[in-house]
Amino acid sequence: MAEPLVRLTDLKKSYGNFEAVKGIDLEIAAGEFIAIMGPSGCGKTTTLRMLAGLEAPSGGEIFIGGERMNDVPAHERDTPMVWQSLALFPFLSVRENVEFGLKMRGLPKRERRERVAVWLERLGLEGFEKRRVDALSGGQRQRVALARSLVTEPKMLFLDEPLSALDAHLVIRMQGVLSKLQKDLGITFVYVTHSQSEAFAMADRVVIMGHGEIVQTGRPKDIFRAPRNRFVAEFVGRNNIFAGTVAGGVINVDGTQLPLPGAADGPAEIVVAADRMTVSLERPNTAALEAEFVSEEFVGTAIICYFEGPGGEELKAQVTERELELLAPEPGKHFFLSWEPDAPHVMAVTS
Amino acid sequence: MLYLAIVFAFVFAPIITSMIFSFNSDRFPTVPLGEFTTHWYETAFSRPEVWEAMQNSLIVALTAATLSTALGFATAYTDYRYNFRFKSAYIALALLPPTIPLVIMGLAMLAWLARLGISGTLTGIIIAHTVMAAPFAMAICRLRLSQMDPALEAAAWNLGASQWRAMRSVVVPFCLPAIVSAFCLTAAVSFDEFVVAWFVSGLNKTVPVVILEILQGNVDPQINAIGTFVFLTSMTLVVVAQLLITRRRKA
Repeated sequence: MAEPLVRLTDLKKSYGNFEAVKGIDLEIAAGEFIAIMGPSGCGKTTTLRMLAGLEAPSGGEIFIGGERMNDVPAHERDTPMVWQSLALFPFLSVRENVEFGLKMRGLPKRERRERVAVWLERLGLEGFEKRRVDALSGGQRQRVALARSLVTEPKMLFLDEPLSALDAHLVIRMQGVLSKLQKDLGITFVYVTHSQSEAFAMADRVVIMGHGEIVQTGRPKDIFRAPRNRFVAEFVGRNNIFAGTVAGGVINVDGTQLPLPGAADGPAEIVVAADRMTVSLERPNTAALEAEFVSEEFVGTAIICYFEGPGGEELKAQVTERELELLAPEPGKHFFLSWEPDAPHVMAVTS
Repeated sequence: MLYLAIVFAFVFAPIITSMIFSFNSDRFPTVPLGEFTTHWYETAFSRPEVWEAMQNSLIVALTAATLSTALGFATAYTDYRYNFRFKSAYIALALLPPTIPLVIMGLAMLAWLARLGISGTLTGIIIAHTVMAAPFAMAICRLRLSQMDPALEAAAWNLGASQWRAMRSVVVPFCLPAIVSAFCLTAAVSFDEFVVAWFVSGLNKTVPVVILEILQGNVDPQINAIGTFVFLTSMTLVVVAQLLITRRRKA
């Protein structure tokens, strides 16, 4: 097997008694768009900073291109980063900002100018060369930050929550810009975020971290459909999680018997995605949970309805606008929630 | 507003009066005023000891400002960048000099510099003023560094700048307004400073020391002339320093 571009083995980082990263193993292939995702404090940014050489690992090893990087200082690694705060140099013009990395590498002025011009054009920033960075809009600054990191033509780019400061509509647009850029360049993007939608929209592979450990790695679709445990299922969102006891292919959730063909007997947690739920006014022929309507939320073209289940748990079901009209939900009104037998995914039970 | 005006009037009245009398032809500061004259400036600046003192003050102020700004910036950066045990003690110590009574400072400096064999030299005054002014430079640089995005320096490393290169091409340019401001302020502190200079200056007098010596003989309007000059020089430096600190770039 070919050596992956990045290989982390038992990578650890602790601050005093606090273990920020508890020994993770990860391989990143060349040309991959990988998202490291998790709630704040899960160790995702620390991992990225260790990759870039801004934090020294407390244990384990980092290999980039087959070379051990643990003791290579940040400025000798070719691992440019796009920062959450962007960290553009406020006292420099757009051109000088983009030029910075080339200047540090000692390129002659003419070549620097040429390459800067190419990248500014590529990111739609031509004509802004002499502007001060604080005179630009949020989206423009974002693109300056990208140009500054990519102008040295690195093999990979690290992005640390780069879109968290942007307005919602700009986020969607920048996601498009980033996806296209990554495909066109064919380089590796390592994207750190706490936003499920950003990670799932762009990444080839998602790494979910929690409490300094990797909880699950996989394609966005697989993680969404088959979360490994409750932590992932809750983090990914728009999932219904049921805990109960399985006996003879049936799970007992708070007294309601729900079919769960093929599941092993014993305590189990299952997850059903919101878009696999069916909401009906009458009790259907199949097993169903009776739930009380709470509220609805418009998410793009679909609508998520929130219910309170028999055990007081929050339940979510995705419906269309047409369905919503027919159901005419009001807070307190009772409905029946059911799903196809193949919809539930059985998770590992976390204590 | 009225109170503010009264306070300002009270603070500046003596200086304004001194300025007015520096252009007054009468020998004694009395009203009604005599004629307008620049005579006192001419006589004051024709005295060799005044010129020499000006020269001394200038050398001392510029050198002490350079040294204390460099020292202040380095101290502030250490505070910004590193965490270590006894850091609060380090900061307290660095900010201590202005709290020491000037007479004590002057005496201590005299004793210490005499032991080193450099009391009475310009070097001695420069050292004393550097010690006294560095905390101001540090405070100004510290304020500016606290406004710096911690990712800024890391971004420079990330783009291939070594520690020194990042310092030169990112940290110093970012802090430049504060550095210039600290330079002006420390120069003003040194230019004005009398007590310690008086203790350690010996024959190499600075302007404030010469003013006192002229004054000891008699009340002479030349004092007003020199005083006005010193006041305007220091004020210019302080105003420049203030403008640089408070200037905010439009977003």
